[in-house]
Amino acid sequence: MTSQTRKILEFVLDNLVWFMLAFVLAVFSALIPNYFQTGIFTNIIEASSVLGVMSIGLALVIITGHMDLSVESVAALSAMAVGILFCSAGIGIGIKLSPEWLMVPVSLLVACAIGALIGFFNGFLVVKLKMSAFIITLASFIWVRGIVLAISGGRSAQDLAPAIRWFAIERLLGIPLSAWIAIACFLLFSVMMAKTPFGRHLVMIGGNETATFRAGIPVNRNLILAFVMAGAIAGLAGWLLAIRTSGATANLGVGLLFNAFAAVVIGGISLKGGVGGLPGVYAGVLLLSSINTAINLMGLPANYTQVIHGLLVLAAVLLDMFKQRLRARLA
Amino acid sequence: MTGKLLVLDNIRKNFGAIEALKGISFSIGKGEVVALLGDNGAGKSTLVKIISGGLQPTSGRMLFEGEEYQAKSPAQAKDAGIETVYQDLSLCTNVDVVGNFFMGREITRKVAGIPILDERAMETITRKALTDAGTRIPSLRTKVEHLSGGQRQAIELNRFVHWGGKLVLLDEPFAALGVEQTRRGLDMIRHVANQGIGVVIITHIMQQAFQVADRIVVIRHGVVAGDVERSKTSPDAVIEMITGQTLAGAGPASG
Repeated sequence: MTSQTRKILEFVLDNLVWFMLAFVLAVFSALIPNYFQTGIFTNIIEASSVLGVMSIGLALVIITGHMDLSVESVAALSAMAVGILFCSAGIGIGIKLSPEWLMVPVSLLVACAIGALIGFFNGFLVVKLKMSAFIITLASFIWVRGIVLAISGGRSAQDLAPAIRWFAIERLLGIPLSAWIAIACFLLFSVMMAKTPFGRHLVMIGGNETATFRAGIPVNRNLILAFVMAGAIAGLAGWLLAIRTSGATANLGVGLLFNAFAAVVIGGISLKGGVGGLPGVYAGVLLLSSINTAINLMGLPANYTQVIHGLLVLAAVLLDMFKQRLRARLA
Repeated sequence: MTGKLLVLDNIRKNFGAIEALKGISFSIGKGEVVALLGDNGAGKSTLVKIISGGLQPTSGRMLFEGEEYQAKSPAQAKDAGIETVYQDLSLCTNVDVVGNFFMGREITRKVAGIPILDERAMETITRKALTDAGTRIPSLRTKVEHLSGGQRQAIELNRFVHWGGKLVLLDEPFAALGVEQTRRGLDMIRHVANQGIGVVIITHIMQQAFQVADRIVVIRHGVVAGDVERSKTSPDAVIEMITGQTLAGAGPASG
């Protein structure tokens, strides 16, 4: 095999999910009437903003070789906090700030701070007490959702302050600002992972924690930071969720965790840690979103989406195995 | 004891009820190569981990360049100038050669106050270091998982040669190397020592110890069973120290 073909093959393997996305979009556009139009594509991007943001946090932690199952509940709690503080109907207490735009940074700060706090709690237990991240964050997944139910009493908050709602309504190039926030997050964290020492160290910790410790990298600090980031990003996802639904309900975002999981795995992030990048995750999110849109357009019962997502995750894991074998042969 | 780089004074280490080290005392001079020999389980690796900050001694003290020294973490040992090459390789196989070479010491440049990896600078330095050492690796951007055992070990060895420091600890560094690479590795050790860096090398192979070391220290059952200059001993005498057929009589007093 010449080095030229090898390089091309490596490139295709590294960016396989983008090719899959292009393929799926092409097939849907050809076969499903009305699929090929700008409105549909902006809709796909818009629908993937909350899931996309949440997947970033999950991916960060999985890359270090750990796990964060709590992101969905954390997002729900942040959304509920924003809902209670800044909604004027239901259980919302409708705090008004002047000037009005001040509500944007304050609500954002509240959402991210709640997430970061829970992330710190998770990270501290995992790193300092050496407990399994799977168990710790499973517990958080449950108790954080419990808090959401407790503080809301099962009721909902509606009519989010218009100053915050603005992000879901205002559009730039046909795409709502909330989706631009997701895209900006992907860019920001992709750069962090690929170009900064901190990101490089997270990848290395996922590959060989002992080696990074011996090399003098502050492993514990970096791991806790990764959990804090995952929490804060989940908080941001919750903020976007509250904006999109103009409030919060007690069961807001249920099931998002598994979609985020699917997106991360489809995006080429290996569950054993140390492998994969964030751009692929965004492609994974867009892929899921395009398939959802196709199902909607074809008029299939929405229940089928879950079956298809499940099969997609399976396919992604199989693909990952296949890719690893192929790489081993390339080397 | 002047001019000594590292002095170990009565180092003890207990793991629960087990005494792994029962009072180790010896010293390493600047530019000196000390071969640390001993049977499996004699406590060599434990000793190396204590010096490199991976483990804390139960009691005893160390002087590094005449000052009280006690590393709480590998990072502190590195800051003091002590580099370690471990028996099980310390490479992240999911990252490329350059990334591994600069692990924890990445070159960055600030862009808007944020440290950004300077990949080109790191690649240039890595290429030069590897070429100087005669190690051939086709692409420095290959992930280490695709490299052979020998190539991996070569990266580790080149890494310590490049970063140097003041003292280098090598825990069986040639386990995966071929004949030619081992010879080159031993040359590397001499080269490093000639720069005034102290070297401690753990090995099982008597021939290597006699090829490269200035002094041979034998550990047996957690105590120093022998501390002799290479020129004043023979492989047979050392083997007897390792297996315990003679007692401390082979030490410096009679040597």
